[in-house]
This record gives sequence, C-alpha cells and structure tokens, in this order.
Amino acid sequence: MPIQYYIALSATLFCIGIVGVLTRRNAIVIFMCIELMLNAVNLLLVAFSKMQPVAAATNTAARNAANVGIDGQIFVFFIMVVAAAEVSVGLAIIVMMYRNTHSVDVNFLNRLKN
Amino acid sequence: MSITEILFWFLSVLTLVSAIMVLISKNPVHSVLWLIATFFAISGHYILLNAQFLAIVNLIVYAGAIMVLFLFVIMLMNLDVAIEPKRSMWMKFAGVISGGLLLAVLLSVVRTSVDLTNKTAQLNTGDIGLIKNLGHTLFTQYAVPFEVSSILFLSAMVGAVVIGKKN
Amino acid sequence: MQLINALLQANTTAVATATGTAADYFPIGIQLLFAIGFVAVMIGGSHLLGPKRRTADKLENFTSGIESHGTARQPMAIKYFLVAILFVLFDVEVIFFYPYAVNFRDLGWQGFGEVLLFVSFFLIGFIYIIKKGALIWED
Repeated sequence: MPIQYYIALSATLFCIGIVGVLTRRNAIVIFMCIELMLNAVNLLLVAFSKMQPVAAATNTAARNAANVGIDGQIFVFFIMVVAAAEVSVGLAIIVMMYRNTHSVDVNFLNRLKN
Repeated sequence: MSITEILFWFLSVLTLVSAIMVLISKNPVHSVLWLIATFFAISGHYILLNAQFLAIVNLIVYAGAIMVLFLFVIMLMNLDVAIEPKRSMWMKFAGVISGGLLLAVLLSVVRTSVDLTNKTAQLNTGDIGLIKNLGHTLFTQYAVPFEVSSILFLSAMVGAVVIGKKN
Repeated sequence: MQLINALLQANTTAVATATGTAADYFPIGIQLLFAIGFVAVMIGGSHLLGPKRRTADKLENFTSGIESHGTARQPMAIKYFLVAILFVLFDVEVIFFYPYAVNFRDLGWQGFGEVLLFVSFFLIGFIYIIKKGALIWED
C-alpha cells in the first residue's frame, strides 16, 4: 500500500480532531478529540515503521533481521502509555472543574483571566 | 483488488466515518461509543501492518480502560442529557474552515512530495511488530525510558489522588 | 522436574515456529463474525417472532413490585471515579508485563532488575494511595 494513503488518512483524522477541539464546548468531547489526534499520529508512526522503497523490496529478510523500524513501534507504545497517565490526570481536573462550576463548558474557564 | 486492499479501504472508511460521528453526535455517550469504534478500526489497521502487539495494547488501553473512564466521568456528571451550550454558528464555521484549510495544505504536500513517491508501507509481513521482538528491544535498548515511565505513573497517581480527593 | 523442563522446551519451540502474520487472524475474524452474528440473529429473531402486547404495565421495569422512579443514570459518588482512575494506571502497568513474560528467559537477571525497579515505583504509589485513604469506601 503506498505510504501516501496512510499519510492522507492520518492527516484527515488529525484535522477531524482539530475541528472538534475548535467547534465543541464540552470539555470531555474536546478531550476525546485530543485522543483522536494522538491516535492519528500513532497510526502514522506505525505506517512509517513499515515503510520502505519499492526498489528495495527484495531485501526484506535483511531488514527484518536488523529490526529496521522497531523504534517507531516502541515510540507508539510509549505514546499510548503516556496518554493513559495524561487522561487520568486530565479527567480528574475536569471532574474538579465540574464540582466547582457545575458545568463542563470550557468558556467558564475564561474567568481564569481575571 | 486484493483482499488486503479491500480491508484497507473498508477500515479507512470506518475510521473516518466514526471519527466524524464523534464530532457531530449531540450526546456525549454516543461520542464515546463512536470513539471506541474508531479505536477498533485503528487496531484493524495495526493488524494489517502486522503490528499485533500494538493492536492489542490499543484495544486494552484505549478501548478498554480510557474509554471506560470517559463513560464513568460522563455518568458521574449526568451529562447524558444534551445540555451542551451551542457555540455560535460563526465560530463553528471558522473552526471547520481552519481545519479544512490545514487538511488541504497537508494533502497537497503529500500529493506533490517527491520524497514520498515509490515508498510503500509493507502489509502482512515483517516481524518487528511481534511481542517478542518489541519486548526485547524495550527491555534492552529502551530500558531507561521504561523506568522513567514508571516515575511518570507515580506522579500521575499522586496527581490524581491529590486533585480527585476531597479535603 | 524433568517433565517441567521438557514442557518448557516444547513450549519455546512451538512459539518460535509460530510467526504471526495478519492471515493468522482469520480464525479470530470468523469467531468474531460468528459471535456477533449469533447475538444479532438471536436478538432480531426474538424481536421479530415474539408476540408483542404493549400495555403500560408490561413495559415497566420489573423491580419486585416496587414502583420505579427516575432513570438508571444517576450521578455517581466521586469515590468510584478515583477507583476508576487508579484502575487505568495499574492496567497500563500490567501491559508492560506481557512483553516481559514473553522474553523472560532471554533477559535474565538484568531484565528482572529492571522490572523490579519498575514495580517498586508502582508499589510506592500504591502505598501512598493506601495511606491517603483513596480506596476507602465509607466516609
């Protein structure tokens, strides 16, 4: 599968996440869109870890022996793990925000300005 | 068209449709369910790329744990009734336009880039995604990030307890 | 003892030959399809074939004769939430054990030390949680 397809797919997914962050006001939905963007990046990294030029397709065995591209997948693994930690703290913050303002509307946070 | 290509297109369409449904559903619970569908589709992509360990981790961590946490929070706040105040139409329009412009720029770069021509992502082959190889690299070459991640988790635990506990 | 050794040896050779490709997921796909299809057919069939008499009394949820009020989606207490958060963190800890278990013998004492350090950090966090009383149910 040409690598461009994967790049286009993840770029579209990432832009959907961006549109979600910009257009929604519910803090939880915004958080979910951030997860979507993280997953778009993960997908792209995995696709890149398996990328190779067409001409070099013959020496696949050599590439496998050298574990070419394994760093990309390790990186994705760490992104997932860090995302779990991030979600736990972020949701705790959202729950606190709800407890204090009785709303998850991000516009309420405007008052932090003053 | 081989069966792998059919699977690729099917999973891509599924990913994008459920991602869009996350955005446009009014009820946050429905958003969570569509997001879970997106994660399943992305896991399917990982399996196609033979990254089997990541596919399973994606399901366990994202669909199994994180999304359950989201559902918990939504039920905690009684948000299943759609009470979300509307952003003004103008703001929505601006958001969609800016996201679309970014997408257009990215896609045009991908389409015209010379570096990317004749590069393929290998489907269905390769051993690097198997749990044995990944684990070996993780515990030898990447031992320090592994330990640092445990410190990160310690701090996340302390942070969650400090923020989440009353008094 | 020898039996255990032989078993372990046999196991490793079996694992070594089983290189995975996406095609290996074909049986899992069939099973998934079968499971979903079975559930869909059962629910759809009972919906289509079953008799329908919709009176107000029949549609009410059965709560042992007590009248039900409200919906099932009540706001929950905050302590459930902390337990859920801590579950996610320890869930991810377990994820790290799968690759370690597969490579347990190759890594030897060095890998064991790494994992011990990893677990000890989590243990510190766990002791902190217990000391703070984050898992206590009664207030």
